[in-house]
Amino acid sequence: MVREKITVSTRTLQWKCVESAADSKRLLYGRFILSPLMKGQADTIGIAMRRALLGEIEGTCITRAKSEKISHEYSTIMGIQESVHEILMNLKEIVLRSNLYGTCEASICVRGPGYVTAQDIILPPYVEILDNTQHIASLTEPIELVIGLQIEKNRGYLIKAPNTFQDGSYPIDPVFMPVRNANHSIHSYENGNKEILFLEIWTNGSLTPKEALYEASRNLIDLLIPFLHTKEENLNLEGNQHMVPLPPFTFYDKLAKLTKNKKKMALKSIFIDQSELPPRIYNCLKRSNIYTLLDLLNNSQEDLMKMEHFRIEDVKQILGILEKNFVIDLPKNKF
Amino acid sequence: MSTIPGFNQIQFEGFCRFIDQGLTEELSKFPKIEDTNQEIDFELFLERYQLVEPSIKERDAVYESLTYSSELYVSARLIWKNDRRRYIQEQTILIGKIPLMTSLGAFIVNGIYRIVINQILQSPGIYYQSELNDNGISVYTGTIISDWGGRLELEIDRKTRIWVRVSRQQKLSILVLLSAMGLNIREILENVCYPELFLSFLNDKKQIGSKENAILEFYQQFACVEGDPVFSESLSKDLQKKFFQQRCELGGIGRRNMNRRLNLDIPQNNTFLLPRDILAAADRLIRIKFGMGTLDDMNHLQNKRIRSVADLLQEQFGLALVRLENMARGNIYAALKHNWTPTPQNLVNSTPLTDTYKVFFRLHPLSQVLDRTNPLTQIVHGRKLSYLGPGGLTARTATFPIRDIHPSHYGRICPIDTSEGINVGLIGSLAIHARIGRWGSLESPFYKISERSKGARMLYLSPGRDEYYMVAAGNSLALNQGIQEEQVVPARYRQEFLTIAWEQVHLRSIFSFQYFSIGASLIPFIEHNDANRALMSSNMQRQAVPLSQSEKCIVGTGLEGQAALDSGALAIAEHEGEIIYTDTDKILLSGNGDTLRIPLVMYQRSNKNTCMHQKPQVQRGKCIKKGQILAYGAATVGGELALGKNVLVAYMPWEGYNFEDAVLISERLVYEDIYTSFHIRKYEIQINQGSERVTNEIPHLEVHLLRNLDKNGIVMLGSWVETGDILVGKLTPQMVKESSYAPEDRLLRTILGMRVYTSKETCLKLPIGGRGRVIDVRWVQSSKTDETEKTESIRVYILQKREIKVGDKVAGRHGNKGIISKILPRQDMPYLQDGRPVDMVFNPLGVPSRMNVGQIFESSLGLAGGLLDRHYRIAPFDERYEQEASRKLVFSELYEASKQTVNPWIFEPESPGKSRIFDGRTGDPFEQPVIIGKPYILKLIHQVDDKIHGRSSGRYSRLTQQPLKGRAKKGGQRVGEMEVWALEGFGVAYILQEMLTYKSDHIRARQEVLGTIIFGGRIPTPEDAPESFRLFVRELRSLALELNHFLVSEKTFQLNRKEA
Repeated sequence: MVREKITVSTRTLQWKCVESAADSKRLLYGRFILSPLMKGQADTIGIAMRRALLGEIEGTCITRAKSEKISHEYSTIMGIQESVHEILMNLKEIVLRSNLYGTCEASICVRGPGYVTAQDIILPPYVEILDNTQHIASLTEPIELVIGLQIEKNRGYLIKAPNTFQDGSYPIDPVFMPVRNANHSIHSYENGNKEILFLEIWTNGSLTPKEALYEASRNLIDLLIPFLHTKEENLNLEGNQHMVPLPPFTFYDKLAKLTKNKKKMALKSIFIDQSELPPRIYNCLKRSNIYTLLDLLNNSQEDLMKMEHFRIEDVKQILGILEKNFVIDLPKNKF
Repeated sequence: MSTIPGFNQIQFEGFCRFIDQGLTEELSKFPKIEDTNQEIDFELFLERYQLVEPSIKERDAVYESLTYSSELYVSARLIWKNDRRRYIQEQTILIGKIPLMTSLGAFIVNGIYRIVINQILQSPGIYYQSELNDNGISVYTGTIISDWGGRLELEIDRKTRIWVRVSRQQKLSILVLLSAMGLNIREILENVCYPELFLSFLNDKKQIGSKENAILEFYQQFACVEGDPVFSESLSKDLQKKFFQQRCELGGIGRRNMNRRLNLDIPQNNTFLLPRDILAAADRLIRIKFGMGTLDDMNHLQNKRIRSVADLLQEQFGLALVRLENMARGNIYAALKHNWTPTPQNLVNSTPLTDTYKVFFRLHPLSQVLDRTNPLTQIVHGRKLSYLGPGGLTARTATFPIRDIHPSHYGRICPIDTSEGINVGLIGSLAIHARIGRWGSLESPFYKISERSKGARMLYLSPGRDEYYMVAAGNSLALNQGIQEEQVVPARYRQEFLTIAWEQVHLRSIFSFQYFSIGASLIPFIEHNDANRALMSSNMQRQAVPLSQSEKCIVGTGLEGQAALDSGALAIAEHEGEIIYTDTDKILLSGNGDTLRIPLVMYQRSNKNTCMHQKPQVQRGKCIKKGQILAYGAATVGGELALGKNVLVAYMPWEGYNFEDAVLISERLVYEDIYTSFHIRKYEIQINQGSERVTNEIPHLEVHLLRNLDKNGIVMLGSWVETGDILVGKLTPQMVKESSYAPEDRLLRTILGMRVYTSKETCLKLPIGGRGRVIDVRWVQSSKTDETEKTESIRVYILQKREIKVGDKVAGRHGNKGIISKILPRQDMPYLQDGRPVDMVFNPLGVPSRMNVGQIFESSLGLAGGLLDRHYRIAPFDERYEQEASRKLVFSELYEASKQTVNPWIFEPESPGKSRIFDGRTGDPFEQPVIIGKPYILKLIHQVDDKIHGRSSGRYSRLTQQPLKGRAKKGGQRVGEMEVWALEGFGVAYILQEMLTYKSDHIRARQEVLGTIIFGGRIPTPEDAPESFRLFVRELRSLALELNHFLVSEKTFQLNRKEA
């Protein structure tokens, strides 16, 4: 009885950045607090956040390099002090920041002699290099160094066997991990009944710790959404007893049920990038400020047609995808 | 403080001795050759010989598989003395090629680096020992060991009779030997000290009689001839040649030892065993029997000698000159017979010498392929000492005392560094400061402590000599300078450890790791380790793979720099100058008026398939000094040896994934390329130019497999190849029998009369496990110049990048080795209080029983060093400065690190070195504080990729029809005797039958099983015996034993014979 009295808290949870520091362009640090939490909650959130920060955040990296003159990774180019492999290792070090989806191209085109650094990379506008001083190669002769790069946003790390590319491009085993380190600690007060969660985040600069925190919590929430609708899920499973174990995309099926209930709130939290749209359509939608499914549903087909570079086939494609994944029809006209 | 001698110096000194002295010595033995009619004289002038600088560079020799050798020219003179022509002809002639030592201390023979390791042998001389015979009575023996290793044993029995044993044969009376050597009884009795003993011996033995009888008896014993040989001159000569010249040659060292031991003054040039020696030896033996005189310790290093490169090469040179002499003789004879005019040059040619060295380097057991796994391996290999080899011991018969550490090893042979297994103790390693002195003894330096001179004087002492001095052990140096007299120090004296006053000390050791080899002295905190583990460590450091990105060790011993410098992995400026050009593969250095081109090693294969690579470290335009480092090699950073990586380690159990020395690692080690290494493999194919064809048109092969071939049929440079891909397309023509022609071929043949040639593809395919990038293709002309068939070979070099993976072996520097058992994502690894995930998790139970506590010191100090960004170089035995010095150092550094980084958890006073850490999966703290640290961990060459293997079908042994063994032959796994018991124990009869028949040597059953699997149905049960049993029966038959079984009919009692 007494216990209940104490646990009642009127204050809402609040977070605050208590410390942030930039040791270098490649090492940002931030410390955040979340309070007031009840006993035990800090631990629940803390470990989940730490794991999400370390494992769930996407990063942008150069994944492939291509150059005409190279015969293989372990050869040398006349007039360059580094071997090709060393150049590739240097390219791996480059930290990028982007709001990219999928892949894009970049290139280096430098004439020697001189040092080639990261600032010589010609990038699409939505990709940004954080540390321009990153050394790539040093040219000792007046030769032209042309490297085509492929940039990708992804999660975790990739180790690709180079056999898939016979076109003379060389994979750089990329590490898409913007968070260098994360830690959580708990401070309890009020006789151990209240807790403050401290989260420390070190990033490699492509995200600020704050953004990392945001990304991590969003990714964590995305993972938890299915649990919001336990009942429907159970029904769904009962109906599909004979089906093979559900792939991770099942939560789209659950979303289908969801839309029938007209829970537009949920639609708001579904971003269009989750609907496997082709990059071109995705970019078009994004340009006209359509981010979530709700935004999309608020537009009619005609509205969509008005957009730049948008064709009737694309609308059909969107419809197909929506129908497949969400069982939603785009309104013919605005209602 | 003296500098450490160059690690390759042993080899260089040896080779220089050979060139400077050995050549002259052997050439001086070359006789003047005369023909039978004394018409022609042929002689060599030893004063005028010259070695020509080799025409090829060291590197080209490797690249083109040639021998890096120098031509030896000698002046020769031919004198005609007959009446018709009387003149003298002088010529400088080529007598052969001598392989030269390279800067690595190795030779290049046929493109392969080979090193000649030093042999350690029993010194020739006489050794007195006492042995217990079968009845438990001690017997005194004197063993005379000849220069070639032959033994002659003198033995004195209870009745003080002296016997001689020649090579473990039945014993002979010493009088027989002496008579056979040419002494008569009177001479014997006159020249011994105790003639009465000899007299009594004479009396109870049958009369020896004449010299002939003695020789006859001796010969009978020596040559084990049955029956009664008759005395003849030839028999006497034979004995002379076989026994007195070969068995009894003492050599210079032997004569010296003999003189010293027996107090004789026989001149040095008398290298054979004389009767006087035997008499003196017998006298000494009698005296020892009566308790006068001392026994010898055969295993003492003073009774050993080192046969170095110099001696081995000189010996070969001598052999070659004998062959040359025979050749010259033969040619002179032929010239006179066939009447052609000989000149010095056409009397001899270069084959005997060149061939002798070729054979020596190829086949001699002490000439080994230089192990080049990493820079350390290269230098350590040249400093090995082996008891094995010709004239030495064999691994199977060597006794325990020989393998054991001896007090005289101090400062000469490392007590730690030896191989494990059958050769333990037989292959040792030279201590850092040891050198080879005159007479092949191993010398160790000491400082002489004297009152007069302040500066310490260094002197090299041979084994045996330092025993007569009090040598301060050097394990407590914290002496108060003022009151030296009161100081008591531990010291060694005559193989004993004493504690004596400081003023009594004569010598002290010069260096704290004077008595260790290079491998052992690279172990930090070695004094805290058990010797067995230190041994493993010094062996395992040699197996470390150079990593793609090396890192200096945080905790080291200070020897890393020199190890790297002497290893030859670095490019070092030969003289001062200015860098005028640098590139990835070369550096141009100008200075002393000329330009030096220093080619760098670019991704080259070592013979252990590791990758050697040099990175230039100097800028263009910089002026450099002599000896400055121009480029770092593989596994070196900043001029220091860097074999591994400093990684964060926790000692704790983790879900059983580090049970029994398994190691759990973080994914970070994979994706950050921390333990990524390069491996270059060579694939070679011989091409018979006459008949075989290299082409890219290979019939009956998938296009996919041929995709990497260029139009000539050789794999393209830079292409990525996988297992099974064709590297070189080759067709070998093959004549096929008429009946096996395909129908269309037969049609062609009948209609057009064409002969159809079929050829078989004999392509070079990438074997299992091979994948990677083709980085080099070489077409090598075989050096063998056979006129009939020219063979060429194509070599394909494939580079493979290997990340660390489950099954790889990793090790620390304290013999703590383990296999990777699981790779965890970084968020799952245990993490420290600042959130840093640990990189490796070792089992704490691996420490106490192995007693390698040094790893704990290293890891704690490494952690402190990592945080403070400091590198520590700690000479071993720092405990001599004060008690617990290592522990104090580690704790104080940890304390400082915790203060500087404001992380109190780094040093917790209640559990120093330990810290509370958390489980990455749950965030819960572990129950106990855990030791965390940053040791230096190496990745070893034993990697799964080279070992993983499975067999579904494959070849069978010819004779037994059982599957072959070994991965290289795609062999099977043996189900041995005990495995069969296990299957029997479980009663799994069908599995057992499958193992023993279908999967093994039942030919018919295993053929049928294939068909039944394809078409379905029941696999037939094999009824008769498998092939190995049939083989057994046949082997019995060859011993005239018939093994058979019969069926006896119940009705008629008739025997039905069944063939097994």
